[in-house]
Amino acid sequence: MLRSTTLQRLRPAVFRVQRWNSTTTSAPKPSTTHSDIVVVGGGPAGLTIAAALKHYPETVNKSVTLVEFGSLDNLKTWGPDMERFENRVSSLTPSSVEYLTKIGVWEHVNRDRVQAYRHMTAWDGVSGSKVQFNTTQLMGEGRDIAYMTENFNLQNGLLKQLANKPNLTILDKTKVEGVERTPESHNKPLVKLSNGSTISTDLLIGADGANSPVRTFSGIEARGWDYNTHGLVATVRLANEQQSAWQRFLPTGPIALLPLPNRFGSLVWSTTPKMAAQLKQLTPEQFVMMVNCAFNLEPTDIEYLVEHPDEIMTDAPYRLSQRSSNPDVPCPIVAVQDKSRASFPLKMKHADTYIAENVALVGDAAHTTHPLAGQGLNMGQGDAQSLAIAIRNAAGRGADIGSTLTLEPYWADQYFKNHKLLGVVDKLHKLYSTRNPLVVGLRSLGLDAVNSVKPVKDFLMSQAS
Amino acid sequence: MFRTVPKTTLLAPIQRRTLLNGNYPKAYPEHVPLTCLGRAVLAVGSGFGTFFDSRRGDLVATLGEATAQPYFIYKLREQMLKDPTGRRLLREQPRMTSKSLDLDKLRNMKVGSIGRTYVEWLDKEGVSPDTRAQVRYIDDPECAYVMQRYRESHDFYHALTGLPIIMEGELALKAFEWANTGLPMSGLGMVLTPLKFKPKQRKRYFDVYLPWALYNGFRSKPVINVYWEEVLEKDAEELRRDLGIEQPPDLRQMKKDMAKKK
Ligand SMILES: Cc1cc2nc3c(=O)[nH]c(=O)nc-3n(C[C@H](O)[C@H](O)[C@H](O)COP(=O)(O)OP(=O)(O)OC[C@H]3O[C@@H](n4cnc5c(N)ncnc54)[C@H](O)[C@@H]3O)c2cc1C
Repeated sequence: MLRSTTLQRLRPAVFRVQRWNSTTTSAPKPSTTHSDIVVVGGGPAGLTIAAALKHYPETVNKSVTLVEFGSLDNLKTWGPDMERFENRVSSLTPSSVEYLTKIGVWEHVNRDRVQAYRHMTAWDGVSGSKVQFNTTQLMGEGRDIAYMTENFNLQNGLLKQLANKPNLTILDKTKVEGVERTPESHNKPLVKLSNGSTISTDLLIGADGANSPVRTFSGIEARGWDYNTHGLVATVRLANEQQSAWQRFLPTGPIALLPLPNRFGSLVWSTTPKMAAQLKQLTPEQFVMMVNCAFNLEPTDIEYLVEHPDEIMTDAPYRLSQRSSNPDVPCPIVAVQDKSRASFPLKMKHADTYIAENVALVGDAAHTTHPLAGQGLNMGQGDAQSLAIAIRNAAGRGADIGSTLTLEPYWADQYFKNHKLLGVVDKLHKLYSTRNPLVVGLRSLGLDAVNSVKPVKDFLMSQAS
Repeated sequence: MFRTVPKTTLLAPIQRRTLLNGNYPKAYPEHVPLTCLGRAVLAVGSGFGTFFDSRRGDLVATLGEATAQPYFIYKLREQMLKDPTGRRLLREQPRMTSKSLDLDKLRNMKVGSIGRTYVEWLDKEGVSPDTRAQVRYIDDPECAYVMQRYRESHDFYHALTGLPIIMEGELALKAFEWANTGLPMSGLGMVLTPLKFKPKQRKRYFDVYLPWALYNGFRSKPVINVYWEEVLEKDAEELRRDLGIEQPPDLRQMKKDMAKKK
C-alpha cells in the first residue's frame, strides 16, 4: 500500500523532469555550462579543496565552480575588530596549519586573531582525576598543540587566496536544487541551480555540510546516531590572558574553554538540549556565573542551579567560595559577548562511502563527530588535502578526474583514519556520560594512568595532531 | 616543634607523617588528618568497641566518621545539594546547642509541636543537645558539617519517630537512618547488634521495628534536609506527613504489654 503511493508520488516528478529535458530545445533555453569540477558548499572544507586545486600546477587550469547557498559578503568584508570574536571557533592542528601554509592560505589568515596553545588540562568532573598535556615536554620546545582560529577568519583567508584565480567561479546566494544524470550528459552529474542554470561536471564535490544534499542525491547512506546533546557555544571574556585549554567532563557532557587573544575565550558546553535551552535564556550575569560554576562545582550543584535560575546570583557565589582555589581550573570568566550564545545538535554520522562515479564527499558531508576532541573541522582539512592530491595525480597522468579509480586513494587514505577517530570520540563521550561509581572509578584510574605514563601520553598527543 | 593540642582530641595530631597520621594540613580547627591505614584502624577499633559497648557514644561517633568517608558522606551531601533547604543549611551551617535552641522556650510550646516533643524527649531520656561529639576525622570541611548536622539532628529523629533510646529503639532508628541517609555505620549496627539480643527482643526487632524502619526510611524525603530550627512550632504529626513517615508503635508500651501477658 504504502509503497505504491510513494511510487505514484514519485513517478510524475520523474516524468516532469524528463519532459522538461526533452523540451529544452524549444523552450527559452536554460543555460547549461560545463565546469570540470563543481564544489558544493563554501564552508571550511569546500573553500579548502578549491584553494588546494588552484594551488597545484596540474589542476590550476581545471575549471572550478563553487556554489554556496548563503551569502559570502559578510565573510569578504569581515574585519578585525579586536573587541569582538566569533562564536564558531575551531582548534586547527599543526598538520592542518602546515597544509594551509603550503597552499598559501595561512598567510592570509589574520594571525593577531589566532591563539596558539601549548598546555591542555582535561579532568573528570565526578572524580576529579585529571590528565595534563604539555607540549614543551612532549613534542619538544616551541611546538604548539593547536591554533584557535575563528571559522570566519579561516574562510576569509581562503577567499583572499582564491581571489583572482583563473578558471574559478564562486556563486554565492545560489542553491543546488538537484543533481541528475542523463544519457545526453554521458551519465555525468548535471547540477541544477536555484538561478535556473545547470552545470555539467566531471567531478561533483559535496562539501555541503552535515545534511549534505549531494550525498542524498548520490544515494549514499550516512549512518550514526544523535547524541541527544547540544553543543552550546559562546565567546567569553576572561579575567586575564590565557594560553591554556581546559576541558571538564560532566555527566551531561564536557565543557571546554579554549583561549583566544586579548583575554577572550571560546566556550563549548555540550549538554542536554533542555539545559542548553535554559542556559541560553539566562541573563548575561547569570550565564557567566553558571560557566564558572560548571568548571568548579559538583555536577549536582550545576544541575540544581540551572533548574533554579533565580538562586544563581544568591547561592552560587557562596558555593564557589567554598571551593579551595584549584590551579587546574581556568581563571574566572568575567563576561559573555552579547548575542554570542548559540547551540547545535551533536551527531555522530559516517557516510558509507566518500566516493561514487564522478562524486566525492568531504568534511561534514562525509562525517560528523562530537566536538570533545576538536577534530571535526580538522578531519575535513585532511579530506581536502587527500582528495586534492588524488585529483592532482590523475590530472598529471591525464586520467579522468571523476572516475572511482582516481578517487579511490582518497577514500582509502581518509575513511579508516576518520572511522577510528569517530569511534574513539564516540567511546569517550559514552565513557564520560555515566555516573556509575564503578565506571567512574575505572575511568579515573585510566586517566591517572594516562597522566603518569609518558609513552601513553606521547601516543595520544601524536594522534591528536 | 610541638603544637599545643586541644584536650578534646582523641588522637593527638602530629605534624610529621606517621603510619596513621596524614601530614596534610587541617581543613578546620578540630580536624584530625589521617592516612588510609589510620582510617582503617580507627574503623576496626571503634567497630569492635561499639559492638561490645554501644553506649560508648564517642566510639559510635568515631565509627560513623571512619566509615562515611570517602564515598557515603559525599552522597549525603549530594542529597542536600539537590534540595533548596539542604543548600541553605550548607550555606548557613547552623549548630544546635542548648543555647541556640532555648530549651525553656520549647517547653512552653504547644503539645504535639516538634519543639515540645523534642524537649520532652530530651527530658525523658535525660540527654542534652550539648552531648553530641565534635566531628574530627572527615577531611572535607563541608562534609564534616554534613556529619555534624546529621549527628545533631539525631535527637530530632527520636522526637519525630517516637522511638526510645533503649537498644531496640536505637537500632530501629539506625536502620531508619541507614535507609534514609545511606551512611554505612548505621547499616552495620542494624545487622550486627541484634546478634546480642535475647530471642524475644530479636523477634520484636525483626518483625516490627526493622520493617517499619526500612520502609519509612526509604520512602520518606531525606530528613537531613529538615531545617529543625525553623519547624519547631510545627505539629510533629504534620511534619511526619510532609516527609512521608508513619509513627511506629510505642516500644516501651509494647514491652509492658508483653510482660503483663507472661
Ligand atoms: C559546537 C561545535 C564546536 C566545534 N568545534 C570544533 C573544533 O574545535 N575543532 C574542529 O576541528 N571542529 C569543530 N567543530 C566542527 C566544525 O565546525 C565542522 O566540522 C566544520 O564546520 C565543517 O565544515 P564543512 O565545510 O564540512 O561544513 P559546513 O561548515 O557545514 O559547510 C557546508 C556549507 O554548504 C552549504 N550548503 C549546504 N547545502 C547547500 C546547497 N544545497 N546548495 C549550496 N550550498 C549548500 C552551507 O550553506 C554551508 O555553508 C565544531 C562543531 C560544533 C557544532
